[in-house]
Amino acid sequence: MLRLMDRLNPQVLRILALLAVLVAVILFFAAVVPNYLNGRLFNRVSSSVAIMALIATAQTLVIITRNIDLSIGSTVGFVAFATGSLITNNPDLGPVVLVLYAMALGAVFGAINGLLVAFARVPSIIVTLGTMALFRSALVEYSDSKSISTANLPEWLVSFPNTVLWQWGQMQFRAAFVAAVVVVLIVHVALSRLRAARRLYAIGSNPEAAEMAGIDTRKTVFVAFVLAGALAGLGGFMFLARFGTITVVAGLGFELKSVAAAVVGGVNIFGGSGTVIGALIGAILVDLIDTSLVRWQMVSEFWREAVLGILILLSVAADALLMRRLVAARAAREHRKAEERIARELAAQAQGPAP
Amino acid sequence: MKSFKTLGLAAALMISGASLATAQTALEGGQEVDMVLLPKFLGILVFDQANEGAQEAHAELENPGDLLFVGPTPENSVAGQIEIMTTSATQGQGAVMLSNNAGDQIAPAAQAAQEAGTRVVTWDSPIPGGEGEDVFVAQVDFGSIGVVMADMAHSILGGEGQMAVLSATPDAANQNAWIASMQEVLAADEKYAGIELVDIVYGDDQAEVSYNRALSLVDQYPDLGVIMSPTTVGIQAASKAMQDEGLCDQVKVSGLGLPSEMVSYTMNGCAPEFALWDFRDLGYLTYYTAYGLATGQLVGEIGESFTAGRMGDYTIEEDPGRPGAKRILMGPFTVYTAENVEAAAQ
Repeated sequence: MLRLMDRLNPQVLRILALLAVLVAVILFFAAVVPNYLNGRLFNRVSSSVAIMALIATAQTLVIITRNIDLSIGSTVGFVAFATGSLITNNPDLGPVVLVLYAMALGAVFGAINGLLVAFARVPSIIVTLGTMALFRSALVEYSDSKSISTANLPEWLVSFPNTVLWQWGQMQFRAAFVAAVVVVLIVHVALSRLRAARRLYAIGSNPEAAEMAGIDTRKTVFVAFVLAGALAGLGGFMFLARFGTITVVAGLGFELKSVAAAVVGGVNIFGGSGTVIGALIGAILVDLIDTSLVRWQMVSEFWREAVLGILILLSVAADALLMRRLVAARAAREHRKAEERIARELAAQAQGPAP
Repeated sequence: MKSFKTLGLAAALMISGASLATAQTALEGGQEVDMVLLPKFLGILVFDQANEGAQEAHAELENPGDLLFVGPTPENSVAGQIEIMTTSATQGQGAVMLSNNAGDQIAPAAQAAQEAGTRVVTWDSPIPGGEGEDVFVAQVDFGSIGVVMADMAHSILGGEGQMAVLSATPDAANQNAWIASMQEVLAADEKYAGIELVDIVYGDDQAEVSYNRALSLVDQYPDLGVIMSPTTVGIQAASKAMQDEGLCDQVKVSGLGLPSEMVSYTMNGCAPEFALWDFRDLGYLTYYTAYGLATGQLVGEIGESFTAGRMGDYTIEEDPGRPGAKRILMGPFTVYTAENVEAAAQ
C-alpha cells in the first residue's frame, strides 16, 4: 500500500484524498438523513452537476494561469438566453449549429476579458468584476424583460439532458452528465499531454520565468480566457436544455460556485497547479453537500449557506491535511531509505579497504 | 368677538368641506410630476407588465413629467433598490413606486425620501414594518391568498395529504405574509385538517435553485402530494422538475403562476390549478395612487377615496396584516385550470 502511494504522483494522491472526503460526506449524511443512500441521489447530483462541471472546468483553465473569471455566471446566463432566443426564432436549427453558436458566443465574452487582462494588463479580478455586471446588464437589456419558455423549444433540446444512456439498478447515466464528463476528460487529457497546454501551468507557477523561457504569456492568457468562455458557453447551452425557462437571473452566483468547486477540487488559487478532474470532483462535492443540507432537518434555511461554507472550509482543510500527511510520510520514507543507503555505502566503504 | 366666532365657524365649515371633497376624489390629470417605478429587479415578465399598466395610466392622466422604469440588476437587488430610492429623493422625484425586495432595510432610505418630499407608494411587496411608506397597493387581500392556496391544495389532494411550500427568497415580505396566512387558514378551519404542511423551502426565485429544491422535497417526503409555490419562477421550475423526472402522477404543483408560462403543465396535469392577478392592473392602480399623492390631490389618510380611471373607485384603509400601515386593496384574482388557461395564455 505504502509502496503504491510512493509511485503515485501528488495530483493523483490529491484526487484520492478528495474521493475519501466525498465518501466521508456521503456516509455522514446517510447517518443523519433517512432514506438517503439510493440511486435517486446519484441521479439528482449527476444531473445537477453536469452544468457546474463544465463551468468549474472553464474556471480552472483561468485559475491555473493565476487569474480568475468572475463574469462566468453572467456569460452562462447571456449565452443560455441568446441560444434559447435563436432556437425559438429558428426552430429548424440542428444541435451542432446550436452548440457551436453557444460556444462561439461564450468565446466572444471570453475574448473581451482576455483582451483586457492580457493586453491592457488590468488585474483579472477587476476586469471580470466589471464584465460580470456588464454582461448581466447586457442580458437585461437584450432580454427586453421577456423570458425564454420551454414551450417554444424543440423537443430534442428539452429531452436531451434527461435521456438515459444506460442504467445500473436505480442509477441512471443521463446524456447531460455523460457529455459533461466526456468534455472534462478531453480537457484533462489536453492539459496533461499537449505541450501548448503546459504553458498555462508554466505561466501560473512563475510568469517571469515563463516569459524568459520564451512563452508568449499575453497570448496564452488570452487563449485561456477564450477557451474558458467557450466552455462557459457550452455550460449555457446545457443550462438552457435542462431548465428551459431562462430569465435574466440565469447563472446568477455561478462565478463563486465555480471558484468553490475548483478550490475544493485542489486547484491552487494562486495558479500553477490543479486538474480539471479535481474540479469535477470538487463540483460534485459542493453539489452533494448543497443537496444534502436541504434534506437535513437540523439546519434551517438561514443557516444553510453558513453550514455550506463551513463544510467547504472543512473539506479543503481535510484535503490539505491529508495531502500534507501523505507527502510528509513519503518524504520521511524516502529520507529513511536514503539514510539506509548511505549507511550501507559507508559500511561498505568502511569494510572495503580493511582486508 | 362675534366676527371671530363667525370666522371660526367658517373655518370649521371649510375644513369639513375639504374633508368631504377628499372623501371621493376624481383625480385631475395634466399636472406635471416625475415618478419612478421601481421593481424588485429588472427582467422579470410580471414587472414589465406592471410597467405597461403604469405607462397606460401615465398617458391617460396626461402627465407631462417623466415616468421612469428603473430597477437593480438581479444580483444586486437589495443594495440596488436602496440606492435607487436614495437617488430618486435627491433628484426630487414626486413619487417612488416600490415593489420591495429589501425587507425593512429600505425603511431609512424611504423615510429620508419622504422627508425630502417624495411620496413612497409600495405595490406587490410592501415594507414589512410600514415605516417610510405612504400606502401599499395590495394586489389581493393577503389573507385571501392564504385561503385560495389552501383551497387549491385541498382540491388537488382530495382533502387529505402532504403539502410543501417552495417560496422565493427567505426575506420576501409578500411571500412570507402569504405563507403565514395560509398556515393560519390551515390551522383554523376543520376543512383542512387532513392537509399536513411538512416543509417550507426557498428557491431564491432562480430556476436552477428552485428546480433542485423541488426535487429535494420529493426525495425527503416520499408521501408528498403537492408542492405549493407562491412565486412565478418557483411554480414553473417545480413543474418542469416533476415533468422531467416523471413524477407528475405522484406530486402535483400549484401556487401563483403566469398562464403563458404554465399552460403546458396545466394541460398535461403536472400543475392542474394555479392562481394569479393582473399585473397590468396593479401597475395602473399604483400609478393612479402615486399620482394622486404626488400632486397633493390625495393626502394619504385612511378613509380617503378616489377614482382610478377604468378600474373604478378605491379607498385607503388600514392594512389588517400590518398594524399602523395603510393599504389600497385591488383584488380579485383568477384561478386557472385546464378550462381557462389556454385562453389566458394567448
